[in-house]
Amino acid sequence: MKAAIFDIQRSSYVDGPGIRTTVFFKGCNLKCKWCHSPESQSTEKEILFYKDKCRGCGRCESITDDFVCYSGAKEICGREYDTDELVADILADKVFYDASGGGVTFSGGECMLQIDALESILKKCKEHGIHTAVDTAGGVEWEDFERILPFTDLFLYDLKCFSESLHIDGTGVSNRLILENLKALSDARGCEIIIRIPVIPGFNTERAEMAKMASFLKGIRHKSIELLPYHKMGKSKYDALGREFTEYEIPVIDDDLKRMFN
Amino acid sequence: MEFYTSSKIKRPVRLSEATRLFAHESLNHKYGLDTLKTEYISLDGVENYDAMSALEKYNVGILEIAKRAPVRICDGELISGAATLGGAVEHVFPAKAEGDVRDYATGVSHLTVDFREVLEIGLDGIRKKAEEYLEIHKNPEKKEFVSSCIHCIDCMKIWRDRYIAELKIRGGFDKNVKNLSRVPFHSAENFYEAVQSIWFCFAFMRLTGNWPGIGRIDVLLGDYLKRDLEGGTLTLDEAREILAHFFIKGCEWINGMETGGGDAQHYQNIVLSGTDEEGHDVTNEVTYLVLDVVEETGIGDFPITVRINSNTDERLLTRISEVIRLGGGVVAVYNEEVVLRALRGMGYSESEARTFANDGCWEVQIPGRTKFGYVPLDAFRLLQHVTLRDYGDVGFPDFDALISKYECDLSQEVKRIFDESVLGTLDESGNLKKEFPCTVVSLFEHSCIENGLSYKEGGTDYVVVSPHIGGLPDAANSLYAIKKVVFDEKLLSLSRFMEILRSNWKGEEDLRLQILNEYRYFGNDNDEVDLIAAKLLDDFSGMCERFDGKTKVRFVSGVSTFGRQLAWAPSRLAAPFGRKAGEVLSGNLSPTPGTDKAGAAAIIKSYCKADLSKQRTGAALDVGLIGNSLDAENSVAALSGLIKGFVRLGGFFMQIDTVDRNTLIEAQKNPLDYQNLSVRVSGWNARFVTMSKEWQDMIIDRTK
Repeated sequence: MKAAIFDIQRSSYVDGPGIRTTVFFKGCNLKCKWCHSPESQSTEKEILFYKDKCRGCGRCESITDDFVCYSGAKEICGREYDTDELVADILADKVFYDASGGGVTFSGGECMLQIDALESILKKCKEHGIHTAVDTAGGVEWEDFERILPFTDLFLYDLKCFSESLHIDGTGVSNRLILENLKALSDARGCEIIIRIPVIPGFNTERAEMAKMASFLKGIRHKSIELLPYHKMGKSKYDALGREFTEYEIPVIDDDLKRMFN
Repeated sequence: MEFYTSSKIKRPVRLSEATRLFAHESLNHKYGLDTLKTEYISLDGVENYDAMSALEKYNVGILEIAKRAPVRICDGELISGAATLGGAVEHVFPAKAEGDVRDYATGVSHLTVDFREVLEIGLDGIRKKAEEYLEIHKNPEKKEFVSSCIHCIDCMKIWRDRYIAELKIRGGFDKNVKNLSRVPFHSAENFYEAVQSIWFCFAFMRLTGNWPGIGRIDVLLGDYLKRDLEGGTLTLDEAREILAHFFIKGCEWINGMETGGGDAQHYQNIVLSGTDEEGHDVTNEVTYLVLDVVEETGIGDFPITVRINSNTDERLLTRISEVIRLGGGVVAVYNEEVVLRALRGMGYSESEARTFANDGCWEVQIPGRTKFGYVPLDAFRLLQHVTLRDYGDVGFPDFDALISKYECDLSQEVKRIFDESVLGTLDESGNLKKEFPCTVVSLFEHSCIENGLSYKEGGTDYVVVSPHIGGLPDAANSLYAIKKVVFDEKLLSLSRFMEILRSNWKGEEDLRLQILNEYRYFGNDNDEVDLIAAKLLDDFSGMCERFDGKTKVRFVSGVSTFGRQLAWAPSRLAAPFGRKAGEVLSGNLSPTPGTDKAGAAAIIKSYCKADLSKQRTGAALDVGLIGNSLDAENSVAALSGLIKGFVRLGGFFMQIDTVDRNTLIEAQKNPLDYQNLSVRVSGWNARFVTMSKEWQDMIIDRTK
């Protein structure tokens, strides 16, 4: 079986507990204005061109699938992996997962859009005794959650905001399904949940909006809530894709805000 | 007042305000600058000096140092004694007369003495032993040496008396006076005395130009503290204060001046935890107090290595990770199991092997019993200059022929080192030739008095010379690149490749970038190149052990560069793996900077594929983690996971630092704002801003 992947990061310490390998699936059904991985949104292969690294060697005049630009100027983003190949790559650091309470995290993009491949890989990882985490925005059918729940130890569940109209404005889609799925996941048990909230000034930082999210989350079973401040580190990728970059302010996450979600 | 950390996490506050102030001013050069005021004691005017033998001059020097070296007492200090002569900071015997040839008047370093004897029987006990052996020895030179031992102990008493006098005059130091009236001349009876005893001897060794290590401080002090706590005569907080003062006194040479490789490399090494002679875990309250002190103050001048095994308590791993997380690279780890295998393989008994400590950086040795030295071997230069004849006219029909020739050249180089650094240092009877006297450190090394020979003359139980291979990752990467390009993929003929490398890739920038980026080099968990490195290392150890046992000198292998790669880089030709002439080289057994692209776990995996127990004196890995990724709660689990994985995979020694590149670059630009940013260099710590630009760039290059 094949999966469209755009990155695999070994030795990650920020995508769940312990030392992890994070597999980034290509394609997303949200189009958040503040997204720092613009290359994750489309399911198609894309070319990123970093102009200032280009030496003008001309090798890329004809590009094949396995083209590599040695200056790092032109990057073909997105490649098909065989699921067995992925599992083998994930197994490489098993000693460290075992030693640290770590494992594998599936992220993206929206990894749950490739549900067949994801289910297959999760199953195989569990057979090898690897702790599994799925990083999702939750905007898929509940049936998809049901399929992977038996093989998923932890969900990193991303919540952008509570109000529906605001959500449509910021991401292009409604959050009805996202909130329903989170409630169902909370009720279902059989997995841990960590909530992740991007803090985007001018989008979701109004106290009233934050309060609605905090209130909703009081009824959700969760291990912790992480507040992720907006950052601009994705800008160069927008330029490389020839896309416009929407800039927000860098937030200050003060104790009041933290207390709301504790 | 805060102690610097590159992390967002704050250092805890447990020590008293006064102690914190003392630490702060010590770290900020107060006593280091004071030490520079008196560089050495002049021996001009000493009667008959010119007619004296080397040992007689040394004896006079020790006496004059004891009588005249400035006495320093710091406000509120809990322990006393100070190495106040600037010459000692430079590793020189700080007493001389006009006309003395100074070149060889160096102190001794790369040794961890054993403080156990002085704690148990006091210097008076050692003196008594020396008097007995003065009668037993018949050889006049041996008698002279043992007399020198007695003399030096008497000089230490003179020095001690000066301190007691000054402490009484200053007033308010009753405890210090009481302690010094007992130790180090009598045995220590409690924790406070034990700490003072160790410090006083350590300080006198330093005062006289030596840079000894401390070794297993928790083993030395653990029982004393246990008895005091159980008897209710000392609290844990009080013990922590006393230990903190030991650490703070150890900062007396910090002067903030630029010194190449950085200012904290006086090899004041400490080893924590691990097992004792019977295999029982030694971890005790002192272990944790040391970590407390370092966590709070960030003092990196006593680089700490913790002996980890598969039974190491989670609590200890957590504490180590918490300290590592604050940056500065102060805490490193040994995989005790591999080290013991290495030492047993060398012939040490199980129980003796278990006493191991390090010598100054991380080379392992049996403390108090080993005269240790290492000899650098440049593996990359050997490949370029000898095997490939500076990329000249070479022909190899296949890769096996190339690697065979390289190993042959390596073997020749090992022989050359043996001839020069072992045979060349022995006289006709197979004994070590005489060097500058070193009686003071010999007092704290077993068997010197019994043998009537100083440390340098081989009076210790063991003498070890260890060739240390450096640049091995660069050499392995180069061999791998040639294998792929010439023999596997046949992109170029060997002679064409040699031509291109000779010209430093002129007109072949595409090819260079291709070779640099297409293949996965050492440090990326790629068996193809990792196993080349592993084979070279394993075979190298055999090449050394061919000569082991031929003389009284043990000749065994190890791996290190200790920053030498900086000096080597400018003379290197282009690297076959895609680097230009003169570019940054690998350090220790770490990947060539910039070629590791798969994270810390992959680096550790690559490093662990060799049988590192064959590197008897050690093989170090430097791992740099990005500071800000470790601010999360997860970082402790991640760090202790890296350490545990390292142990499970058979690593030897690993030092982790957690500063990020941007901070280092900032510190280069604004040094005054980063005075106490400490980094792990290569077995020692240093304040980054005291390093020359070259060294700073080397650290930056190897940091993400």
